[in-house]
Amino acid sequence: MIKKLLLITLLIPFLSLSQGYQVNLQGQVSQAMGGAGLAMTEDGSSLFFNPGASAFIEKKEISLNFTPTFANGTFLEAKTNNLASTVSPMGTPFSAYGLFHLKNHNRLKLGLAIYTPFGSTVEWEDNWEGRFTLKRLQLLSIFVQPTVSYKISDRIGLGLGLIYCYGKVNLQKDLPLQFQDGLYGTAELEGTSHGFGYNAGLYFSATDKLKFALTYRSRINMEVKKGQATFTVPTSLEDKFPSGEFSSSLPLPSVISLGTVLKATDKLSIALDVNYTNWSVYDTLGFDYVVNTESLEDTRSPRMYKAAFAFRLGGQYAITDKLKSRIGIAFAQTPSLDDYVTPESPDSDRINYTIGLGYAFTEKISLDASLLYTKLEREATNQETQLSGTYKTIVLAPGIQFNYTF
Amino acid sequence: MIKLTSIAILSGIIFTSCKPKFEMPEESLGSVNPVNYIALGGSNTSGYSDGALNLNGQENNYAQILTTQFNRIDPTSFNQAFVSEIGINLDGNSKLKVGYKTDCNNETSISPVRVSSTGDNNILSTNVSTGGPYNNLAFPSMSTINVNQMGYSNPFFNRVVNDPSTESILDLALANNPTFYTAQLGEDDILDYATSGGTMNTIPSANGAAGIGFDGSLEEVITTMTAAGANGALLNIPDVLNYPFFTTIPYNGLVIDAAQAASLNSVFNPLGISFQEGANGFLIEDLTAPNNVRKMLPGEKILLTVPLDSIKCFGMGVTTSIPDRYSLTLTEVAEINQKITEYNQVISNLANQNSVAFVDLNTLYDTFHNGTVYNGVSMSTAFISGGTFSLDGLNLNPIGQAKIANAIIEQLNIKYSATIPLADVTKYPGIVFP
Repeated sequence: MIKKLLLITLLIPFLSLSQGYQVNLQGQVSQAMGGAGLAMTEDGSSLFFNPGASAFIEKKEISLNFTPTFANGTFLEAKTNNLASTVSPMGTPFSAYGLFHLKNHNRLKLGLAIYTPFGSTVEWEDNWEGRFTLKRLQLLSIFVQPTVSYKISDRIGLGLGLIYCYGKVNLQKDLPLQFQDGLYGTAELEGTSHGFGYNAGLYFSATDKLKFALTYRSRINMEVKKGQATFTVPTSLEDKFPSGEFSSSLPLPSVISLGTVLKATDKLSIALDVNYTNWSVYDTLGFDYVVNTESLEDTRSPRMYKAAFAFRLGGQYAITDKLKSRIGIAFAQTPSLDDYVTPESPDSDRINYTIGLGYAFTEKISLDASLLYTKLEREATNQETQLSGTYKTIVLAPGIQFNYTF
Repeated sequence: MIKLTSIAILSGIIFTSCKPKFEMPEESLGSVNPVNYIALGGSNTSGYSDGALNLNGQENNYAQILTTQFNRIDPTSFNQAFVSEIGINLDGNSKLKVGYKTDCNNETSISPVRVSSTGDNNILSTNVSTGGPYNNLAFPSMSTINVNQMGYSNPFFNRVVNDPSTESILDLALANNPTFYTAQLGEDDILDYATSGGTMNTIPSANGAAGIGFDGSLEEVITTMTAAGANGALLNIPDVLNYPFFTTIPYNGLVIDAAQAASLNSVFNPLGISFQEGANGFLIEDLTAPNNVRKMLPGEKILLTVPLDSIKCFGMGVTTSIPDRYSLTLTEVAEINQKITEYNQVISNLANQNSVAFVDLNTLYDTFHNGTVYNGVSMSTAFISGGTFSLDGLNLNPIGQAKIANAIIEQLNIKYSATIPLADVTKYPGIVFP
């Protein structure tokens, strides 16, 4: 039991929000339209969705966006029929966009995007059956993306953003080592990481009514170089579980996306996007401890993710000049295989349902709001930990965005 | 903006009371009626663990865990003749805990130590037969041929029976109007021989009448229970020589350098014994060998009871041989394995013939021996750290007991059309460390 008991597992709680990297809680217009809209030029969130489209936004703009996210997960163990629930706190993804241009250089846009595509906590109730695989996983991240977008012609825009990301991870689980009072030992792994990547986009306005977009977001390697592992174990075992440094890394996969928007009438636009996320880079999660003992060995946990598609369809209808209504639906494949599902990301194929409104108070000030709902269900047995059962999760994400153009 | 955000958060907080719904699987006892469940067996069933019969072992033996699972569906009671926390064994000792021991080389390490200088003598000196009838009728060191023996003398049995000269264990079971039973019989027959280093208690023959042979005695149990209207489950016998009691100390634990080998050879070569640099088999007492001493061979076992200080500092196993009672020779190993095979054949045949559930503990223990993972917890038969055996290296700890309970439930579900949920193994205590 002591030997190799550190089947330490991570990661990626953001999967509970949406498949993989494509969290798509970075802009209320898109959020309300099923996450589609790469080929739209509505607001500054194009810096995230498609830097090539940013050049087609006429004015300077600042947008602030916040989406409190609520996820309720429940696990039914396959053979004991015991239920366990998550007690995760509210997720708080936010984003901020600033889009500017120099005087008399209207074709060249400069932008800064700050967003938090991974920012949630998955926490399972005390003493749940999988507590030796995961108790709590908190992941915080901030992405900063300075961006240049250039309008090559009246039809074509190209954009490139450089991404710097900062992440912080905190993982907690119980260890099957009992103190005199019956309580179990715990392991806590905490670390910070930095990574670099880029976000490139091409916008093509085929006609007044038909627009296309092609985007590519690069893989980013999030490396934890000097993480701190803290083991709380009975005194007699402390030399076998020395607290100390560890290193690990988490690849954030590349995403290639194709989008189109059809302006069906003056009032109605329909958007359709496809994302392809190369999750296959996430095949193993390893932890290397600086000090190893016979009980504390480095770990290699299989994740075996596979590349996955997401399809997104959304519509926007202008009820009046000032009021827009939006609706959308998305289907996303899960990147995880049945044998490798973990309680940190009990992901499944999913359908997202979204609605939203936009209202322009003045020429300069507008608000957008959206609501996302999705339900996940996954029956799985993890080959490494043997944890077996059915995960169900309900996610509700109401969001609000403030836009100021000038 | 702030107002809208507040509304969003508020609606979310209301949402958090909305949990995913499950259609819960049906749970049913099928044709298992555990109202008067009788557990028959030896040490492992009785709650003997950590080297003594003790309360923690009784509260967490597989029979009790099984009852806890039955109780999810239909509450019933399971009466045991509970003893104290410190417990007692036949040598008068208390149970073991993990503590610190300083050896003859003045090295301190974690090791099993007694929780008390003496066992709780009240346990064996107080008759608690008036607290019955008891559902757990398993007694440490009970041989299968003793199940229906009048005048059976076993201090653990004697404390729960009013008059052992007129009532057998099976009589006590019948008096309880059994509706369901489990029988883990035969393991103690093997272990009594094996743990004495093959010096005591020859293993009863697999064949013979009730009270003499294993098959007759077991058949009498099944027939009696069936006649009383009870159905049940038979548990077979694991390969006991894989228990930590027999595997923790290697036969070739005598590790020496070239100079030591040369010096030993100068003494022992004339006796036909030679040593080499590195690992060597210990010297054991063997009455069939020249001079009654020889080197141990691969496949032979040193028992956990061997005095380690004598080996480490006082030359036991080198300058003096290890006494017969601390080792198993190849002949004894073969006898043990042969009897396990024969007994297990009897158990599976009788289960088939009498249409009772058959629980393959032999296979379950193999998974411990080969290493297994349960909900992220690795388990093995490694002594102390393996997480399945108690500190005596022979009987399972509560986690291992829960695994047995689950193996039984799986067979009851098949045999008796039941849908009893398995126990969450990790809810049961493991080994506690200082």
